[in-house]
Amino acid sequence: MARARKLERKPVFAVAVTAVFFAWLYLPILAVALFSFNDKKSLSSFGGFSVRWYDDLFHNDALLDSLAASLKIATAATLGSLVLGTMLALGLERVTSRRGRVIGAVTLLPLVTPEIVTGVAALLLFTGIGLKLSMTTVILAEITFSIAYVTVIVRGRLAGIAGEVEEAARDLGCTPFQAVRLVTLPTLVPALIGAGLLVFALVFDDFVLAFFTTGVDPQPLPVRVYSSIRFGVSPAINAIGTLMLVASALLIIAALWVPRLFHRGSSSLDLITGGDRR
Amino acid sequence: MTETATRPRSAQRTSLWGWLLALPTAWMVAFFVSSMVIIVLLSFGRTTNDGYPAFATSTANYRAIWNEVYLELFLRSLAYAVATVVISALIAYPVAYVIALHGGRYKNALIAAIVVPFFASYLVRMYAWKALLSDDGLVNSALRHSGLSDGITFLNTPQAVIGGLVYGFVVFMILPIYASLERLDTSVIEAGKDLYHGPVRTFFSVTLPATRAGLYGGALLVFLPALGDFVSAQLLGGASTYMMGNLVQQQFAEGQNWPLGSALTVGMMAALTVLMVVYLRATSTRAQES
Repeated sequence: MARARKLERKPVFAVAVTAVFFAWLYLPILAVALFSFNDKKSLSSFGGFSVRWYDDLFHNDALLDSLAASLKIATAATLGSLVLGTMLALGLERVTSRRGRVIGAVTLLPLVTPEIVTGVAALLLFTGIGLKLSMTTVILAEITFSIAYVTVIVRGRLAGIAGEVEEAARDLGCTPFQAVRLVTLPTLVPALIGAGLLVFALVFDDFVLAFFTTGVDPQPLPVRVYSSIRFGVSPAINAIGTLMLVASALLIIAALWVPRLFHRGSSSLDLITGGDRR
Repeated sequence: MTETATRPRSAQRTSLWGWLLALPTAWMVAFFVSSMVIIVLLSFGRTTNDGYPAFATSTANYRAIWNEVYLELFLRSLAYAVATVVISALIAYPVAYVIALHGGRYKNALIAAIVVPFFASYLVRMYAWKALLSDDGLVNSALRHSGLSDGITFLNTPQAVIGGLVYGFVVFMILPIYASLERLDTSVIEAGKDLYHGPVRTFFSVTLPATRAGLYGGALLVFLPALGDFVSAQLLGGASTYMMGNLVQQQFAEGQNWPLGSALTVGMMAALTVLMVVYLRATSTRAQES
């Protein structure tokens, strides 16, 4: 606060840019949401309030199948990447040898690889080993992609926990396994919930990996939405798009807020901005 | 604690942590590393007479992508990605600056207001632009009603594609710049104002250099996904604005020439790696100078 007072003069130009930025950020999304309630089929003139497009959605079996598939994929990928990502984070935090650093670097590679590369490579791998493309292959690819997110978030939290606490548990007679289970894991719970929600939202919305690794039926929701968008815009897509936006927005808000419930005062945004402002 | 007592315990610890690493490492090798190996191997492969991809040791795919059409596409992708980075930086810096230094108690709320829509469906946000800018979309109907114009074709232009890329990835520029501005000691700005007078000179000689790391990091985080993107060019552009990602996508999803697609992907990754190494070297020496 004192800081803000010291810089007494507001940079007018930058404030204007920021205002325009927020308008630019929200205008398209709000337009989609607004026209999803349009009684007319038009995308530019509003005929009156109606939920007919939502009604259509809930009677569209193919779309509901896609929704169910996406929920299953996101759940499985979240659980899988939480387990593997946490194991990796715990291991990397303590194994400081060269081997540990190499493993750490390799597991971060998916984060800097363009998604299309990961996607086509996964497609080649699955076809190469004779795995039929299906929901399973999407889940496998999404887990591989999400492990890095979990690892980064959990490591950020681990670095904040002094290793001495675990050491103390060992001195009190815990086996190494017990020390992790009784001391380290409970302190990781907020980070795990945050990471889980984030990964769920990312996987649920993910299009590129799903596009390359999915079978024909049932297609994940983003893939189905994509194929209908390619043929043009329609009020029905506005409705499903609005639902997808609202669902993932709620998940991300929860991912930002949950860790905060556990640590009052700490910035929940550390989850996103890297957590280096502990 | 005596040394004899600690040593067996730390040995035991190392084996436990090593064991924890084993499963995720095996997973990454099985599903990520091996997939990268396969794509490199198949880039030297061929398509059999009945249309199936097969491993081989031919450089035909690489010779095939070394032609004018593909090079032009590569340069276009590069230009679009660089434009995306520059525009993102121009937008992101003022936004991050205002929020970090003048956001007061709304700081976290404002950043969350940016992050939330950005992490919500990329596809739906691209669709939102398509709906807004289409010939019968809201923007054009507003133009017609106001009598300013009979309507402008926004879609299928490079501007639309680059705009889509900026809309898609600008958050990756805002967050690192915001983080570096947050860490900035504002007394440095005060000192700069005393020394240099004028806020503009202070900004360019103090604030900007001090937050270079965030800017460089953000540039990389925007550049990587922008270069590989195919959704923006597909939904907001057309054949004349296709990027490398579209080419790769066509070979795998439509053209069904997987070996050629593999060579394109490997070429793209090789170009990216070279660019990244050059970029990281250049920026790390500049960061050291400051």
